[in-house]
Amino acid sequence: MELFAFVTPLFLSLIVAGTFVGIVFGAIPGMTATMAVAVCLPLTYPLGLENGLALLLGLYVGGISGGLVPAILLNIPGTPSSITTTFDGYPMTRRGEGERALKIGIVSSLVGGLISLAILFLFAPVLADFAIRFSYVEKFLIIFFAMTVMAALSKDTLVGIFSGVLGIFISLIGVYDLSDGGNGKTRLIPPGLDYWLDSGFSLLPVLIGLFGLTAVLCEAELGVPRGLSRSEVKVGHSSRFSFSVFKGQMLNLIRSSGIGTFVGILPGVGGSAASILAYTNAKTFSKNRDNFGKGEPAGIMASEAGNNGLTGGALVPLLSLGIPGDSTTALLIGAFTLQGIQVGPLFIGNNPDTWNAMIFAMMIANAAMFIMMFFAIRYVALIVTVPKHILYPIILMMCVIGAYTINYGIMFDVWTLAIFGLFGWVAYHTRLEIAPFIIGFILGPSAEVYFVKSLESFGDPTIFFTKSWIAMVLWVLISGSILISLYLARQARRD
Amino acid sequence: MTITRRLALAVLGATALTATSLTAMAQELPRNVRLVIGSTSTGGDTYQNSAIVADALADKLGINIKVDAVGATAAFKALERDKRGTTLMIFHDQSYLGELYGREGYKDPFSTYKIGPTVAINPGNAYLVAKNAKYGTMGEILSAAEAGEKVRVAIQPGGVSEIGFSAMKNAARLRSPGSEANLVAVNTGSQSDKNQAMWDDLADVINGSIQANEQFTQLADDDQKAMKFVWITARPKTLEQAPEQGMGDTTRDKLLKYASPETNVPLNDAENFTFDKEFFFLYNAEMDDAIVSQIDTALAEIFENGEIQKRQKASFFIPNFLPSDKARAHLEAKRNTYKDVISEITTN
Amino acid sequence: MGDLTRVTIDFESSHLLFPTIIACVLAVLGLSIVVRERRSILASGNHWARIFSNMDKVRFFGTIALTLVYFSLMVPVGDMWPNTGMGFLLCSIPFVFLTGALFLHDRGLRPVATIAVVALVVPTLVWWLFTDVFFLTLP
Repeated sequence: MELFAFVTPLFLSLIVAGTFVGIVFGAIPGMTATMAVAVCLPLTYPLGLENGLALLLGLYVGGISGGLVPAILLNIPGTPSSITTTFDGYPMTRRGEGERALKIGIVSSLVGGLISLAILFLFAPVLADFAIRFSYVEKFLIIFFAMTVMAALSKDTLVGIFSGVLGIFISLIGVYDLSDGGNGKTRLIPPGLDYWLDSGFSLLPVLIGLFGLTAVLCEAELGVPRGLSRSEVKVGHSSRFSFSVFKGQMLNLIRSSGIGTFVGILPGVGGSAASILAYTNAKTFSKNRDNFGKGEPAGIMASEAGNNGLTGGALVPLLSLGIPGDSTTALLIGAFTLQGIQVGPLFIGNNPDTWNAMIFAMMIANAAMFIMMFFAIRYVALIVTVPKHILYPIILMMCVIGAYTINYGIMFDVWTLAIFGLFGWVAYHTRLEIAPFIIGFILGPSAEVYFVKSLESFGDPTIFFTKSWIAMVLWVLISGSILISLYLARQARRD
Repeated sequence: MTITRRLALAVLGATALTATSLTAMAQELPRNVRLVIGSTSTGGDTYQNSAIVADALADKLGINIKVDAVGATAAFKALERDKRGTTLMIFHDQSYLGELYGREGYKDPFSTYKIGPTVAINPGNAYLVAKNAKYGTMGEILSAAEAGEKVRVAIQPGGVSEIGFSAMKNAARLRSPGSEANLVAVNTGSQSDKNQAMWDDLADVINGSIQANEQFTQLADDDQKAMKFVWITARPKTLEQAPEQGMGDTTRDKLLKYASPETNVPLNDAENFTFDKEFFFLYNAEMDDAIVSQIDTALAEIFENGEIQKRQKASFFIPNFLPSDKARAHLEAKRNTYKDVISEITTN
Repeated sequence: MGDLTRVTIDFESSHLLFPTIIACVLAVLGLSIVVRERRSILASGNHWARIFSNMDKVRFFGTIALTLVYFSLMVPVGDMWPNTGMGFLLCSIPFVFLTGALFLHDRGLRPVATIAVVALVVPTLVWWLFTDVFFLTLP
């Protein structure tokens, strides 16, 4: 068939190889899909456009998916977008349901990936036109909506919100970045630290410090008790995976994939917001709200369907506006320009073959991801049976690599790891809550830019309510989410 | 195969290194060089251009060069820490524009670092308006400002994106002193923010590039997203070297219509303002001059050979090799011109 | 909405607006926590004393010390062989070995030998993977 002329053995094997390397990158704490694509971008030059994209899209899908492995097994999010996977995934692992949790995550990732791909294929140009109706105001409200999950995730509402706001505060340290629309000036830097802190703390070192290093410190404090890694962890068969767990979760899966896709479509809102929003929604609408955060399968489904939904979504603005939806797709622009191909509003119409090849490559990548992960996962899960005195030093070393390489070799990022590792240990002993803290830290910078820019451009705080019907819908969602958290908090107190 | 070859190379290299370490260390580039760039994006023009140059240079000298996208402030810091030539930097005009606009983290590069050779130009810097806008040309924009109408221009302040806007203000001042106040900056960040500012009707004119915005100029008139070029800041002699087919639907001849001399944004009574985004090397101030000339010579031979130009042009870069001393003189003169423009519009 | 709600943001100082708001919110929340939890905060001295008396001090402070030494040495060591990742490799081998030995309970010959092998093989493999295959910069 003429139509599928691009499908060659090389094309297919590049997708599979890309997906595999992507999974490995995603699974190493501190290595991200973005980095996998960045590392392999130069390789695509001699490969030509279609084959190069096959490799990169495989890396993208694999990288986003691989993050669930350490999130579930070790409570360390492999990538920022799998942060919400840890909330329910790790409690399941502690219950001896690690393998089951992984498989739930993998199936949800596949569903999320395929739904978003279908949306991309069918509606890309229409959605791009819709996305550009989101100005600073609507984007701020989306971020604000995602932030409402802080209250829902807190054990103690007041302390939880305090931790979240503290996260926002710390994320603002350093420069108000020009490339985000700021004025390039620094603030909140403790005296004497200007040389180090002018760009603030980077997200990834903070994340792996809080999760990786803190966990090791807490274990060391207990004298590294004998036995398997992490006290009562069993990979075991105490509860086998079966597809029946998805019964009654169709709506959750579709909604989470849709949210992930949509967040991907909005340039600048950021990948991590996708899974956070999907998780917020799943919790809000679930009948078992109380189980969220304690090992609820629906939480893993929402998080993983949400972050894989991102993959198709982030390609929408890239291919129909020439604007990347997240940091990984920003690199794909590089792949196009390396081959002298323009991306912009006419891309799909001008390059139907490339467009088909991309959709096809994404489909294969999702399938390859599923097959590789679903059937190999049992062996991967054995990682938790490695003795702690071997596993922990290696985790620490990998954290260092992740922190050092994330910004291509900045030593301060390694020190950030140490600072937040200790901070996490202190928080553990003081009831400060890490989950809302990290969500505040992730969302803080975008919240700032969109909030300040809204006021700067429209000059009136009432604009947040009056800008458009989209803004009003978002307010309904925000108030709903807040009311439900308050109601739940009151119920919890009564019990 | 590659592994054995690499191994052999490594062994050879190690032997050579130990043999020459006592005599030749200071005079030439070490075997492993880190090339930091002033951008954090590995998909952007600075990275692409640096990767092309790094590849060619590494091949020519038989060394390893890694390009690290650490961003401007981190790159300057890395450069200042090492005078052995193990860290080099490639950046563009932002390195001195940042200082001219008083941005944090920027110092005068001509006195803080050694300026190395220029390697390429990105001729894409452009200004656009919505297709259905009142103004269709730079002349109309400047007349509007003269007539007292506010014209809002979306830029990213503090550098390459602002310099064209400063030039517009300067041109307005020349035409009718005081009218430059009617050109108002809308401070935004990335290209997507600038486009969005136009679509949200927050800006009348936006800074953009030939590469990123050309397809929007092909859209139908009634499409909200449709744009048209009003000004391309490149020098005509730069644009003339661009591929004849131009970019997308816009041929080189069409591109030239938006650039000087066909589009006038006067710098002074005699000449037009132009701006080319030029990429060049920066070195630690104390790096050995022997290394400077080693790189100059190697690059001269690479550009003599002619292969690198093909790769640069394929990515819409204009090859532009000037050895260190010429590059320095050229860039310093350029900086002084822009310094005058900026001080003219800020003092008055 | 008229002039009542009108605000003008000065771009040059706009970097301070959001941090100020957040700092105020943080202060209010912090104060309410202090008021609500005044008893447990006053008693926090005991809380920490208990934590420190119950902890395995050798392993806890040993881990912190090793980590800090590890981080501090990487760059100076790497600087002797610039851009080869040697700083990472030469520091990681002893770090993995020493931390492993610190965490070990039964320091017999066999387990120590296992740690030694792991400490040699894993960092070397990782170093090779990142510098040679992925072409990334390590200290």
